[in-house]
Parts: sequence; C-alpha cells; structure tokens
Amino acid sequence: MHKEAEAEERYSRQIRFAPIGVRGQRRLGEASVLVVGAGALGASLAQHMVRAGVGRLRLVDRDYVELSNLHRQTLFDEEDAEAALPKAVAAAAKLRRVNGGVRIEAFVADVNRRNAEALAADVDLVLDGTDNTETRLLLSDVCFGRGIPLVYGGVAGSGGMTALLAPGDHCCLRCLLGEEETGSEGAPTCDTLGVISPAVEMVAALQAAEALKALTGNRAALRGTWLTVDAWHFSVKEWKLPSPVEACLYCGWGEPTAAASRELAKNEGFVRTEDDLSGEDHGDTADEDLSGEEPEGETENALPGDDSEAEKLVVLCGRDTFQLMLKPSVSLAEWRRRLTEIGCVITADNRYLLRASTVEGERIVIFAEGRALIQGAGEAERALDIYRHYLNDETRRRADEPSVGV
Amino acid sequence: MSRPLEFKLYVITGENYHPGRSMAKVMEAALRGGADIVQLRDKESSKRELIEKAKRLKELTAKYGVPLIVNDHPDIALAADADGVHLGQDDLPIEAARELLGPRRIIGISTHRIEQARAAERAGADYIGVGPVYPTGTKPGRQAVTTAYVAQAAAEIRIPFVAIGGITEANAEEVLRAGARRLCAVSAIVGHADPESVCRNLLEKINAWSLGEQAAVPASLPISVALTLPERRNVREIALTVNGRSERTQAATLLELAAQYKLEGRSVVADLDGAVVPRQLWGETPLQGGCSVEFVHFVGGG
Repeated sequence: MHKEAEAEERYSRQIRFAPIGVRGQRRLGEASVLVVGAGALGASLAQHMVRAGVGRLRLVDRDYVELSNLHRQTLFDEEDAEAALPKAVAAAAKLRRVNGGVRIEAFVADVNRRNAEALAADVDLVLDGTDNTETRLLLSDVCFGRGIPLVYGGVAGSGGMTALLAPGDHCCLRCLLGEEETGSEGAPTCDTLGVISPAVEMVAALQAAEALKALTGNRAALRGTWLTVDAWHFSVKEWKLPSPVEACLYCGWGEPTAAASRELAKNEGFVRTEDDLSGEDHGDTADEDLSGEEPEGETENALPGDDSEAEKLVVLCGRDTFQLMLKPSVSLAEWRRRLTEIGCVITADNRYLLRASTVEGERIVIFAEGRALIQGAGEAERALDIYRHYLNDETRRRADEPSVGV
Repeated sequence: MSRPLEFKLYVITGENYHPGRSMAKVMEAALRGGADIVQLRDKESSKRELIEKAKRLKELTAKYGVPLIVNDHPDIALAADADGVHLGQDDLPIEAARELLGPRRIIGISTHRIEQARAAERAGADYIGVGPVYPTGTKPGRQAVTTAYVAQAAAEIRIPFVAIGGITEANAEEVLRAGARRLCAVSAIVGHADPESVCRNLLEKINAWSLGEQAAVPASLPISVALTLPERRNVREIALTVNGRSERTQAATLLELAAQYKLEGRSVVADLDGAVVPRQLWGETPLQGGCSVEFVHFVGGG
C-alpha cells in the first residue's frame, strides 16, 4: 500500500499528463525496454525510461567510461572515468539511485548476431543508442523478426535523426538503407564531425517521447516519420516513413534469399545463448557478462574457411579502437600477470576490466568476458602486431620476432 | 551567343583515322555515345569539298541538337551554317573572326600557355582548347603542355576550357583530376572500332568528376550540380529540387539521380516529395518534373 502511494506521488505529474494518465503509467510499469548502447544517446535514453518508470530496463554496452565522454554522456562523472568503469555498470549504478523501483539489468557486451535475439527476447521495445550502422541493421532484423518497435536515433555534430520503426506499419532499416550493409563509411559520426551535448539530448528526447507513446498505449500519437533535427543551424524536417517492402524478408513477406538463409543459419547459436541469458536472469546481480561467445570457443563465430587473424579485428566506430576476442578461459588476474611481465603498465584494474599501456604507448583493454580493445594503434596492421606481441598465446613470448607488415 | 556554351565531350573529325568507314557513320556513332560538340577539321580538302562536308555534318549534328564547329575557316562556317569556328594561334584573330561571324556564333581557340588563355578570354572567345596535354599524332612535333597547364587553366580561366591532345580512356582520369571538366579526343574516338562506347565511357568519367565534387560535401549534401548538358532533343530532361536547390536532370529514376551524386555505395536516406523511399525501390521510383528530392547521410553516431 505504502509502495503504491509512493509510486503515485513519484509519477504524479506524468500521470496528470492526460494522454498517459493512470492507465498509461500502469502500462509503463509493466513494460520491458532494451537500450542498446550506454553512450551519449543510450545513457540519456536509459535515464528517460528509468525516471518515467518502466518496469524493467535492460542496458547493454561494450565500452568503458573515458574523460572524453563526459561532455555529453550525462550519467557519468570523473570518478567513473578515473576508475575506467564499463559504461553499462556505471550507468546502472546511477540509474538504481534514480529509481529503485525499476528492475535494471546491465550487460557488458558487444551486441552481435549471437546474442541480439536473446537480449531482445522478452522486451516490448528497443531503443537504439548504438554508434554504428552494422549494429543498427542487426537490431532492425531482430526487432522486425520479433514484431517489436525499434526507435532509431543517431547524432553527429550539432544534429541527428530519429524514427520509430514499427513492424507491420513501416519498412525496416535494412530496406531504408539498402539490402547490404553499406558500412559506416560516409555516415557521419561523433568522431568525424564531433558532437555537442544539446544535439544528443534533442535526439534522445525525441526517441524517448516516441517510446513513451508506444509503451503507454498511445500508438495513434506516434509520428510515423523520419525526422532530422539540427540544434545549431536550427532546423527540423520530417518525412513520412514508407510501408513495409513486400519482398523483404524482415518487414514484408519475402522468401529468404540464398544470402539471407546463410545469415539465418549463422543465427542458430541464439537458442543456447538465450538459455544462458534466462539462466542469468534468475539471479539477483544483474551486472552480468554477456559476451555471446559459445563456451567451446570462437571457432563457430569465424567465417567458414577463414580464420585469419584479421577477421577477428573489428574497428569500433572509426575512433582508433580495434576490438577482438581472446580466449575467455584466461582470467583478468592472469592477464594482469602476463602483461606486466612483458613490460606493460597497468592503468586500470577493476572487476570488469583491465587496462594496460604497452611499451609503445598504445592501450590494451581486456574485459572479463574475454573481449579486448586495442586503442591508439592507428592502423589495423599495428593492432594485429600488438595482438601477436602481447595477447596471442602462440606468438606472445617471441617478442623479438620481426613484426609483420608495416 | 544566346546562352552560355555548355558541353562536356568534344569530338573532332579525323578521316585518316578511320579508313574504310564514312565520316558520317563514325561521327554519328560518337553522337550516339553522347559527344555534345563536334568540330570539322580537315587540312587536306579544298574549300569546295569542305563546304560539302560541313553541310553534311551540320545536318547530322542538328539531328542530335549538338553544335558544329569548323576548324580555321569562318567563311566555311557561314556557308554551311555551322555554329562556330575554332582558331589556331596563327589563324585569324578572335576580334576579326567575331566581326565576320557576329555575336551569336561560337568562337574557340587553341591555347598552349596560360598567357594565351588569358588573352583569349579577354578577346571574347567562347571557349579555349588547352593542350596538347599529351604528345599526339594529330599535332606531331608539338611539345605537350602536360596536366600542369590544365590545372593552371582550371584555377584561373572562367570561360569553358576543353583539354585536348592525346587524351584516351586510359589517361582521362588524370586530366580530370587536374581540373578539366571538358575533354576532347580525336584518334581515341574516331580511330576506335566502337566510337559510341568510347564516348559513353569518357562521359561517364567526366560526369563522375563533375558531380562527385558536389556530392562530397558531408552534412547538408548536394548542393549545386552542373548538369550542364546541352538541350538534346532526344533526351528527356526535367527540372526538380534537390536538397532545396533548383536543378535539371536527365535522370529518369531516383536511383539514376543518386548515381549522379555518386551516392550508390553510401548510407543515404532518400526523401521524395515528403516521404522516405526505401533504397530497394529507388530504381523503380520515377522522377516527375517539379518534384522535390532530399538526400541525407544516415547519421551514425550515438
């Protein structure tokens, strides 16, 4: 009884807003939302959702807090950057203080083909706070496959764009942008154009507003448009979203093409990952790892007939960061010992990750789930050298071996 | 001239390059391929023969809505009702040619250094030739001016200039990179078994450079596009608005328009008259005169 009275008090101004009312607020309290990315957009979106009182918020992010995030990523502070906390962890800690009534699940993980389905398995809506086209297309596939709305948002410079894509009503992101992942090349990002905080908040606010409409049963109020906005050279433009493309596998009624079948086949690993996730769900501690990696190792994830080292490297959002998967069996403590031994300086060490500075000054970040980031390497070839020199079991100890490539 | 001279691909006759094929046949193939200005050059024939050739070519070029230029001889240009003359540095001065031809006919002149280009511009030439960029059999013994002069002309000269001399499909990119936006070829086109496809390929390269420059602007996209094709009677051209600017295009579909801005490989959202068009449907989305198109780069940051 007391709890209900408190909720009434907490949400009183939101309930007074007629389109939401008591019914809308109750729906919100029963809703589950996935926020992908806990960076600028993601942290803001998560905050909107938690303050508004969703029942459950699942937050997933692959990055950690750095000083250069603080001018726009409103949930984080200097202590988080100093401690190099994973964004998902730091955000969850703040959000729990904001609203203890919301069930918050935070995952330190890279969202990929193998864990996306599991992450979206039991949510009502997905909010996009990612920083790359590839993950967005993946989220689109998953959302349209499951029939849940995806609220896209992107920012760069002083503006951005957003749209709520509703399966059944609109075409999917893949249809909007083209069948193939055209890559992020040419797509402006915070690294190419810079970014100002007001641009982030504008886009996040618009995303959050659409999410609130969808979650409180105000679907008729949804904009149904693709909106671009600029906070500096002020402009707002919106265009009607197109209907589903009939031939599309995701938003229409298309048959899988050969290529799409291969994609689907790759997703078989979902089932098991989903089990893993629901297993974790029963626990009380929510700051789980969710690497999406099979316990057997990485082989399943590799492209058929190609296990070259280069395939393991993923460039993160053009910000001089490369990501790769290590053997998950090696603990952070063991990595700490190995890296120190080979001359690295440990610059951060917490239960989620280890950060070390190489002799040459690049940074290696190893997450507990076995994922590594190499920062400051400049080129992929150099990042591979660092991998071979510091992180690969077979080549690590032969440090005097002449380096390959440039 | 009633309107500014606009062309991209200049073709000059060279009968010695296509023995066994008639000039009319070869030039028609070039026109089909998109050549949009033609010059009759023939240093061998008598004036009487030249007039006949010029008249036949005029008929042909008129059919394609393309101007015909006569090399060296204003009198023949007048007699055959050609659209203009092209002069060498040692021919009649521009002012004298203008007196003969009047204000409406085109006068072009070959230049080999920037001083000549400046003088031609001052004297009221409608366009200049810049070359020979590479050593060429058409002008044996002439020192090549290289792309350095092309770059100079691009930086300084305001009237249309056309790069000429030894230009082929293989080196066209280099000339365009130096700043040329109009190319002229003789042997590479008329000496080829398939002048039509050579022209098409050259034009494609020219278009890529002309439009690529504008499409490279990131945030608010296109921008002014020099869709400066001459009025071609056999090609449909429409007026439209692209990202807020009035443009003309021969593109029939949204996909063709996107290709003109070199947007094929990029993450771009297209809006036509207030509604987003899925990328897959660009190819089957026709453009109507007066329509409004916006292309915006998909924003990736978060």
